[in-house]
Amino acid sequence: MRNVLDYLRLEVRRTLRDPGFVLGGVAIPMLMYLLFTHIGEQGGGAWRIASMVGMAAYGAVGSALNTGGGVAEDRATGWLRQLRVTPMTPRQVVVGRTLTGSVTVLPAIVAVLAAGGLAGGVRLTAGVGVPPGRSPWGRAAVALLLWLGSVPFTLLGLGNGYRLTPQATGVANMLCNLGLAVLGGLWFPVALFPGWLRSLAAYTPTHRFAELGVAVADGRAPAWGAVAVLGLWLAVFGSYAVLSYRRTGRTV
Amino acid sequence: MTQRNGEPPAVSLTGAEKTFGDVRAVAGLDLTVARGETVALLGLPRTLGFARAGGTPIGAGKSTAISLLLGLNEPDAGRVELFGGPPRRAVRAGRVGAMLQETRPVPRVTVRELVAFVAGRHPAPLTAARALEPAGVPEPAGRRVDRLSGGQLQRVRFAVALAGDPDLLVLDEPTAALDVAARQEFWAALRGRARHGRTVLFCTHHLEEADAHADRIVVVDRGRVVADGTGEELRRRVGGGVVSFDLAEGGGEGLELLPGVRAVEVRGGRARLRTDDSDATVLAPAERGAIRRLEVAPASLDDAFLALTSPDVRPLETV
Repeated sequence: MRNVLDYLRLEVRRTLRDPGFVLGGVAIPMLMYLLFTHIGEQGGGAWRIASMVGMAAYGAVGSALNTGGGVAEDRATGWLRQLRVTPMTPRQVVVGRTLTGSVTVLPAIVAVLAAGGLAGGVRLTAGVGVPPGRSPWGRAAVALLLWLGSVPFTLLGLGNGYRLTPQATGVANMLCNLGLAVLGGLWFPVALFPGWLRSLAAYTPTHRFAELGVAVADGRAPAWGAVAVLGLWLAVFGSYAVLSYRRTGRTV
Repeated sequence: MTQRNGEPPAVSLTGAEKTFGDVRAVAGLDLTVARGETVALLGLPRTLGFARAGGTPIGAGKSTAISLLLGLNEPDAGRVELFGGPPRRAVRAGRVGAMLQETRPVPRVTVRELVAFVAGRHPAPLTAARALEPAGVPEPAGRRVDRLSGGQLQRVRFAVALAGDPDLLVLDEPTAALDVAARQEFWAALRGRARHGRTVLFCTHHLEEADAHADRIVVVDRGRVVADGTGEELRRRVGGGVVSFDLAEGGGEGLELLPGVRAVEVRGGRARLRTDDSDATVLAPAERGAIRRLEVAPASLDDAFLALTSPDVRPLETV
């Protein structure tokens, strides 16, 4: 246990020192949120909430995928090899890395939700069945759900990172991030999509991921459909991560 | 190679084989290192190995042997044991510290963080400060590893290997990128570990280092052990000597045909012949009066090494 915790602490520190992470995972989603909500008065209060949750989700997905970039880098530099000549087991290393992913998504979520509260004037209800007005709790509930919902994306990033070179991982993560963000309606509301694209969006993990947050922000329980689709993607990305690790992770 | 109280040796490879694609990197390697012994694994550097084999990637197999004995790779055949058990068990127990080759600095971590982290994985580690001190890492314990010079980085790698105070230190090309003063500090630190009863196995392609700092030299070539003994034993085993003399006009013709000659080098009007029989080699040209400033020397460790690792390759003549 101490092995995993110390490793987690070390990797979180290393991630926070990465300017790319701070910029892409925290600053850009926050700036995009402020831009999108303040330029052109589009939509009403509903889109304000949806765009806040959408950008928080976008930042969380970026940070989650970024964990995979770190793994690819560690394979290339020989750090994973060096870890294999310490008493740490491969399982501890993988668990520690996955936990790192789930810690490093938090800054993005917190930054965008805070911006929503301070600059965007988004007030949230307290969650399911509780009267509106106590927004800090509502925000915490949204943050918690976004945090839990980011796990599939960490696994997708790890799958890329264990399989590909650092350069290829960077490209794959960026494509996954942009593609899933746009398709899932994190940037623009799905309502603006043509019909066929809208039905496709319903199956993307990102759309369902944001749906979790939006539902809670509206004071509703998340729909079962959202949980089911996200659960399916969790299984798919989890298997992908395991297969990638089996292929190259064990031999580094 | 004495075994204390019948304890299993620190390192034992028996008929180990490892093939990557078409390349037999390790081809039936036998190696035993007793506890407390300091052994050098000596072989040609990989690049030279490439060139010699006409471009086919044949190294001596040192690094592959290292990754087998650390449990980073499984042998295709043969047995690999550390302290009488599978390598992984010794590594998990924190009995092994290693300095790996071909690692780049870990990005975005300070020297102290890195060394303390590795130390903390081991049951009875050195403090980070003590691990860093014999490695001679100067002020930059708070500096980031990826901003160090090559020499400083190599010292940090050594500190990482030392951090757990392991029973067995495995060092792949430990003095690469170190300047002369840093090398001396490094070897002094290593002698200190050896005095504390630690076992040391290091890879090198520097003969002088192997000769000066190891109890025993194991010469590997093309994945097998071709010689095993002290530097003196290796020199004696090769025998012969080196005959050198100034050439008269046009006297460089046919030197390789002289009796006993194994290799010829001509540079600046002076010939240097490596020979199995110095007496016979000297006589023929002397009779023709074709030599001046004759010198006969016993084979050096260099000559021994070349003779051991290249039975079928003659070094090129240089004019």
